[in-house]
Amino acid sequence: MIRHLRDLGFWTLCLIALALVIFPSVSIVISLVQQAWPVLGWHLFTAGTPDDGLQNAILGTLVLCGGILVVTAPVGIAGGIYLAEFSHLRQGSWIRLGYETLAGIPSIVVGFVGYVVLDIELHWGFSLLAGILALSAIVLPYVVKTTEVALLQVPSTLRDGAIALGLSRLTTLRRAVLPPAIPAIISGLVVAVAIGVGETAPLLYTIGFSDQNPSLQPFQHSMGYLTYVVFYWISLPSKTDHELGGAAGLILIGMLLVLIALGRLVSRWTSRYSASMLS
Amino acid sequence: MAGLLILGSFGGNVALAKSKKPKALPTGNPSSPITLTEAGSTLLYPYLEVLAPQVTSAYPHLTLSPAAGGSGLGIADAIGSLTTLGGSDAYLSAADALANPGLMNVPIAISAQAVDYNVPGAPSYLKFTGNVLAEIYQGKITNWDASQIAHLNPGVTLPNLAIVPVRRVDSSGDTFIFTSFLTATNKAWANGPSEGTTVTWPAVSNELTAEGNPGMITVCTATPGCIAYIGVSVENQAIEAGLKESLLQNKSGKFVRPIESTITAAVAAGAGSTPANLTQSLIYEKGAKAYPIVNFEYLIVQKKQKTKALAEAIRTFFSWAIKTSAGATPDNLTAVDFVAMPAVVIPKVEAAIQKITG
Amino acid sequence: MITSEGGAGQSAGSAGSQARRAVRDRDLTRRDRLARLGFLVAALVPSGMLLFLAAEIIREAIPAFTFSGWGFFTGQIFSFGQLYAPTLTHHNGVVAPHGAAYGALPFMVGTLACSVIALAIAVPVSVGAVLALTERVPYRFQSGMSVFLEVLAGIPSVAYGLWGVLFFGPFMAAHVYPVLASVLGFIPLFRAPVGFGEGLLTASLVLAVMIVPIIAATTRELIRTVPILAKEGALALGMTPYETVKVVTLPYVRRGILAASLLGWARALGETMAVLMISGNLLDRLPVNIYGSFSTLAASIVDLLDSALTDATGMAVHALAALGCVLLIITIATNLGGRLIIRRASGGVPLPIGRGI
Repeated sequence: MIRHLRDLGFWTLCLIALALVIFPSVSIVISLVQQAWPVLGWHLFTAGTPDDGLQNAILGTLVLCGGILVVTAPVGIAGGIYLAEFSHLRQGSWIRLGYETLAGIPSIVVGFVGYVVLDIELHWGFSLLAGILALSAIVLPYVVKTTEVALLQVPSTLRDGAIALGLSRLTTLRRAVLPPAIPAIISGLVVAVAIGVGETAPLLYTIGFSDQNPSLQPFQHSMGYLTYVVFYWISLPSKTDHELGGAAGLILIGMLLVLIALGRLVSRWTSRYSASMLS
Repeated sequence: MAGLLILGSFGGNVALAKSKKPKALPTGNPSSPITLTEAGSTLLYPYLEVLAPQVTSAYPHLTLSPAAGGSGLGIADAIGSLTTLGGSDAYLSAADALANPGLMNVPIAISAQAVDYNVPGAPSYLKFTGNVLAEIYQGKITNWDASQIAHLNPGVTLPNLAIVPVRRVDSSGDTFIFTSFLTATNKAWANGPSEGTTVTWPAVSNELTAEGNPGMITVCTATPGCIAYIGVSVENQAIEAGLKESLLQNKSGKFVRPIESTITAAVAAGAGSTPANLTQSLIYEKGAKAYPIVNFEYLIVQKKQKTKALAEAIRTFFSWAIKTSAGATPDNLTAVDFVAMPAVVIPKVEAAIQKITG
Repeated sequence: MITSEGGAGQSAGSAGSQARRAVRDRDLTRRDRLARLGFLVAALVPSGMLLFLAAEIIREAIPAFTFSGWGFFTGQIFSFGQLYAPTLTHHNGVVAPHGAAYGALPFMVGTLACSVIALAIAVPVSVGAVLALTERVPYRFQSGMSVFLEVLAGIPSVAYGLWGVLFFGPFMAAHVYPVLASVLGFIPLFRAPVGFGEGLLTASLVLAVMIVPIIAATTRELIRTVPILAKEGALALGMTPYETVKVVTLPYVRRGILAASLLGWARALGETMAVLMISGNLLDRLPVNIYGSFSTLAASIVDLLDSALTDATGMAVHALAALGCVLLIITIATNLGGRLIIRRASGGVPLPIGRGI
């Protein structure tokens, strides 16, 4: 009897724990919707922050997404290819440790070094390029890792077959190994973008903030982005500003959900694709 | 100090060398669009937001893009050339001026600071001296019913409520002018924390911190017993939020509010002695009507700009901003409770503007 | 989305296949070798970035360590000094503004306190939630749960911060902390005043939510690796599901959970924006009680960087670099610790990186 009571008690606690995990995210979404409700509307997309809209910040966040893709996709995918296809066991584990550690370092350290070195010492000023580079340091490990994992999932029969046909290593990669892995690599890039969209600390001091739409000048121009609005507008005294901060948070989470859905879609495509490759 | 003297005498020499009136450098609508970026003081920010659309309608190719962040950020951004203009309620320190001889502080308006409180049941316009404020911020006076406060406010019964002194956490010109006032009125403060955009605050058990002037209002409104120093440009919002304004004792012993007449009185007392480098404190000036916490609102700028066009745009903005018929209209100034710069200071500002070249 | 499906590829189990594939030089054409060199350079970029960041921050930090000596770790006052004073201080051959003191103790205590509280809450909650999910919830809900953990991992720090400021902090201060203060009031740290919702406990709780995805995702993978026969055997012996968990499942995954906890801890140590928004920003003080305002190494860097740049001697920036340096070393050590543990524990479950992906 006591054993069964103990069993019941334990599982009740576990279910409470599950509820505690689910509650916050539901609560976050609800409180953001509540906060943003009075200012929700199309003008968020058509007006800039001086006129209680978010256009400049939304565009800036999109520019950042594009920027980190341009920087991290080639480097990250190439690095992942090396780890999956070329590295020796011991060497690979050292390289892996490098990106795993990079992924774990606090983002403000990246922001600090970016500011001191790029903005100040190199005289870039508030700079889009400095922001993109700082952000890339944060998301690069995710791209490397997802690429590596995607390639390791490709059945080695494909690889062996191609090599047996006398194809060079590079041709094998291009013709046989890479194609089935592409969807998974793309979904890795999606994750990277999702993380990049939500970062603040590496950008605060490297890129500044501007209430104008992005100028796309790499140096000496600050740029607006959504996470800054969430962070700063809440400390402004007017109620509309608080609501605008909530709206920016809501749009960020909306972007995140779209990206996660996209990632799901791509990875579903992956499994179907690789199934057809095998058959 | 040495730095100030060097800069001051340098300015004087230039004036001597060009004793016949030099031809003014050109100003006007830029031939192609130019954006002047600004970051810094949260006290100055509301004023620049008022000016921004007006300067663009006067000069269609000129855009002013202001951002808040605190005077420390304004000074830092100007030093690092991160923005074209750095907004600050505090002039450059002697060390910063010496380390960055290319920088100038150019005042564009006069501002002041209110001391507000949130004490349930208490009336508006409680009286404070700088000395009492310093003791509150040192943790020597800890309760609203303390005898020192009662002594200044006969006939007012204050509750037995802990005082919660709120201070700025970011680097702030408001902190600079507030601590300058405390330094001028309290020996222990002058020998201890002294003045600065950030200072070593004495430990006080109930203290709270806030980010920016807006944060001061938010925190103070949420905390019964709070006392906070808040720039006049957001004072309307503070009063709307339910905070109450206090009267501060000036050098003549009178208790005054931060309104146009008392701010102007303080400026009148100090304006005659403004040095050529425009680095001047207007804290605790003489005069029966003078409000004790008054300051120049500066935009910090590099003398040498990257291009001629940019330098011209900056000169255009400054010249426009200090004219009472253009930027410094009574409507614009009263919108944020600022006052215009006195006529005796304007020529010195104009001389400074002439130093901005490409 | 990647971890769950592709994880095994990277595990110790795949070592064999990787070794088999290890490339011998003579199999490669010249173009292959050239390409390999290019890929290698790309693969070394993250490590290069890491070294660059570490080198830069150490270089920037050295003058501050020289100035303060051990006082950097034991001093309670962190002040840039009187930037407007005409005199300078000379100490250990380094020049700083008059009255400058760089004591990081309050920041270090604040960082440790809030990350440890967060961890103490997040670990049992994550493990309990995953157990409930894998053993008690119908299978069809489980894939929903992994989406859910992804969302939780992806929510931006500032959104957590905003939630803490707008809803969670005020709610706790109004309804939960007063109860806590009266029940646990016999412990000095838990005594009132409870503040208005920004402070150590609020920040710790929000951090706990933020590190749940890291710990929960790993725990879920670990539990999947528990041999089904062992579990069924325990049940067949007449054990209750709870006893099965206690005797079979938990011992099997304990080490992996420890490793995941270390990763979660590293993330909590370095979290910046959410803590900045809800810490109450009390610099250079220890919190008065568990509800009180405080600050952390990471948050104070953001808070003070602008002021630091106005210090003409440059020492203030060095002092912040020193804070960043301490933070960097602590987080790297925790991270590496977690990875070393799981490498030895094997079990074939890869650890997530960064935010839990």
